Amino acid sequence: MEENWKCLSELSWLIPGLPLLGFVLVGLGRRWLGEKLSGWLATLLVGGAAGLAVATAWTYFGYFGIGGKGPTVVAWSLPWVSYQELLKVSVGVLIDPLSLMLMVVVTGVSTLVHLYSLGYMAGDSGFSRYFAFLNLFTFSMLGLVIAPNLLQMFVFWELVGASSFFLIGFYYTKPSAVAASKKAFIVTRFADLGFLLGILLLAYYGFLMFQDLDSLQSGAYTSAGLQVLDFEYLTSLAVVNRFMELQGGTVLTVALVLLFMGAAGKSAMFPLHIWLPDAMEGPTPVSALIHAATMVVAGVYLVARLFPLFAGSPSALELVMVVGAFTSLFAASIACTQDDIKRILAFSTLSQLGYMMLALGVASPAFPLGFTASTFHLFTHAFFKALLFLGAGSVIHAVHSNNIWDMGGLAKKMPFTHAFFLIATLAIAGIPPFAGFYSKDEILLAALTSGHTWVFGIGLLVAGLTAFYMFRLYWVTFIRPPSSKAAEHAHESPWLMIVPMNVLAILSVVAGWVHFDDYVNSGFQYMVDHDSRVPLLASGAAVIGIGWSAVLYLGQKVKATAVARAAGALYRLIKRKFYVDEIYQFVTHQVIFRFIASPVAWFDRQVVDGLMNLSAAATRAMGVGLRTLQTGQIQTYSLWFIMGGMLVIFSIWITFYPY
Amino acid sequence: MAVAMSTVFFYLLGALALFFATIVVGSKRIFRGAVALMAVLAATAGFYFLLGAEFLAGIQLLVYVGGVVVLIVFVVMLTGSLGLMEDTPSFGRQVVAGLGALNFFLPVFGVLQFSALPEISHEAVALPGADVIGELLLNFGKSGYVMAFELISVLLLVALIGGLVIARKGGQRREEPT
Amino acid sequence: MIDWLAAHAPTLKHWLILSSALFAIGLYGVLARKNAISVLMSIEIMLNSAVFNLIVFNRYIAPKGADGQVFALFVIAVAAAEVVVGLAIFVTLFNRRKTLDVTQVAAMKD
Repeated sequence: MEENWKCLSELSWLIPGLPLLGFVLVGLGRRWLGEKLSGWLATLLVGGAAGLAVATAWTYFGYFGIGGKGPTVVAWSLPWVSYQELLKVSVGVLIDPLSLMLMVVVTGVSTLVHLYSLGYMAGDSGFSRYFAFLNLFTFSMLGLVIAPNLLQMFVFWELVGASSFFLIGFYYTKPSAVAASKKAFIVTRFADLGFLLGILLLAYYGFLMFQDLDSLQSGAYTSAGLQVLDFEYLTSLAVVNRFMELQGGTVLTVALVLLFMGAAGKSAMFPLHIWLPDAMEGPTPVSALIHAATMVVAGVYLVARLFPLFAGSPSALELVMVVGAFTSLFAASIACTQDDIKRILAFSTLSQLGYMMLALGVASPAFPLGFTASTFHLFTHAFFKALLFLGAGSVIHAVHSNNIWDMGGLAKKMPFTHAFFLIATLAIAGIPPFAGFYSKDEILLAALTSGHTWVFGIGLLVAGLTAFYMFRLYWVTFIRPPSSKAAEHAHESPWLMIVPMNVLAILSVVAGWVHFDDYVNSGFQYMVDHDSRVPLLASGAAVIGIGWSAVLYLGQKVKATAVARAAGALYRLIKRKFYVDEIYQFVTHQVIFRFIASPVAWFDRQVVDGLMNLSAAATRAMGVGLRTLQTGQIQTYSLWFIMGGMLVIFSIWITFYPY
Repeated sequence: MAVAMSTVFFYLLGALALFFATIVVGSKRIFRGAVALMAVLAATAGFYFLLGAEFLAGIQLLVYVGGVVVLIVFVVMLTGSLGLMEDTPSFGRQVVAGLGALNFFLPVFGVLQFSALPEISHEAVALPGADVIGELLLNFGKSGYVMAFELISVLLLVALIGGLVIARKGGQRREEPT
Repeated sequence: MIDWLAAHAPTLKHWLILSSALFAIGLYGVLARKNAISVLMSIEIMLNSAVFNLIVFNRYIAPKGADGQVFALFVIAVAAAEVVVGLAIFVTLFNRRKTLDVTQVAAMKD
């Protein structure tokens, strides 16, 4: 076992290395490889990374055992920048239960999405380009996951954003796709500003206390080769304690709020969520991989990674909780009113991400269950949400429309897709024994036991809403009679798309059966008193949601329109996504553009350009004036030359003559 | 005696040089100017003798009088039609040029008058001759000029080839309108 | 008489004034003459006076060295090269334009 572990940890750099190789090979050699070969090559390399990740996880837990908090191992590292002796940053591979879990999820889902894309993207003109970008994304996401320090994480964080930008704008001839990719990039970039500031703040104070703490612990940090930005250093108990003492913990709170801003941008938390629904302009498998299963959980991952630091600042954790709870409720209510299948799923993703954040927010050293619950939900959500998106892609592939009211009756036409989609819907709705039930149950339990009763209430409400809107989608798409010609003539998707969905469907069922706490936990000791009311309440809320949606959407006449009419203004408010986009539009166009950007533009055009033009005009006038002196006669020139030269020499002589 | 002789020759040759120089720049006929130039250059060689640089004087005679002036005369002959030989600048041109020349000469004269130049013996001194110059030219030590010497050789070669190429009868070229 | 002459032997100043006078005459020629060959000859006078300066300084400042003479040699060589090229240009110019009047050759102006 030890040999296996040694060997695999030494090879751990291959996990992000293989997708990078795929990106380089496919990106550079797509002309020689041809479409089919490049697609398969990319898939195989990511599949290899997935195999390696699973094997590493297997040997890790086999070697170190399960039950406690697994050790953090930096399996491989390379010096990157060294500013001075104590301020160095390396790139490396960090292996601990959390990163292993995400590695497995990322590579696994990525492999399945690659496989699915081979069928979904067949015949697209940008086939190889698509796979190159998909590989690039997988590489950067893995680099983010394995980052042993904040700086490497930030670099890959940006790289993930860039590859997401490429993939959202994949259909770059479509203006809406271009706009969506720009929107996603700008919004997340804006959030990353906070992330960077948070890193700088942590690095500054972390550096100031490094030597002191190191000598206090008789060189424990330096002998372990820890660097200032390493997670292991930042989350060590001494550093957290020192940060808590520092100005009454204000510095820590500010830094963590800034970091959370970055996390909220990537995970699309409430005020920064606007990019995610628009990001659905990209190809559907991309939405499944990036905007549902992996990239958007990076924010959750960041908070989880820095959890010991967050635990030192209750107010920062409270912010995480409030934002998470609000986003989950907010997005779930919007999802009930949307008609675009991918947008419903996008808002559902928002809601579930809010759930994860909420769970992290209710966690604390005394009640650390939320940490495990959050990562557990991240784990299960990745599978069933990816499956939902792949199923939606399969449906869109068949119907050629995103609007659920164009679909209907697909249960008979596409039996496999229907079955898988139903499994995923049940999983996300929280019906036992599907995966979503267990993780949701744990989140609700965490909220209740930690004493946040109102959060528990919101969680329960969101669980009901989730079941409602997911089954609304399910009824309208699969059960109601067909409402368009395309839906009547829909066909089942090719096996290349069915197989990955099948695998994900199995995972969506069994992923919840893992006793997750044995594998990934925060390391804080705690006792759980299982409350048998929680699972009952949770599944009860789900059943009520399903029942309501059946009543409203399954009849001959859709009764929902009557309800919508009765709700009136409230319905319109939700339908228009609470006008958040409009508010952004107003703020950027009416306030920023008008009062900041246009004066700057005016100044640039009138004053800066004016000065330029003035100097140009002056030069021109001088040129016209001097032109008369340019006779073309060398003798004239030499006369001026002699005169000038003599003037210079004579004045020098006059100046330096020793009187 | 030698000092007295040098004084006489200085003023004599100086007057000759200045006189022929004015003929070079002032005569209507270019051919006459070329001959006067030869006299100026020869007088300069005489100055070199007076200064004790016999080798340079020989070079001056060989290169300038024997080479350059003969070349100029050739070109005058080559391009010579009588109308072209005439060169009469306008009065205004003469005045401007004279002012330009005075603008050079008067400040220099003034500076020389008011400068404290080192007073060194006027005894006739023989400057180092061809042997020393030759050694200096081919010396690649600290005070040698072998690099410049080689460069000059290349420059001369380039000038030779360049002169040939430029002056070659460009038969294939179209005559430009005058 | 001989004593008087010896007492009025040319000093460094005299030599320099003579050389600058020659230079000024050459300068006048360069500025005034219109024929290219005349201009070239005037330039030769100017160059010659510059070389002359080198020898004078060699004689009065460093009579033991020969560096001034070496410099003079170089300048003479460069001047010879210059004359060769200049005259070649004149021949070509004459063949093309049938003129050597420098005031007529101002195509570079535009």
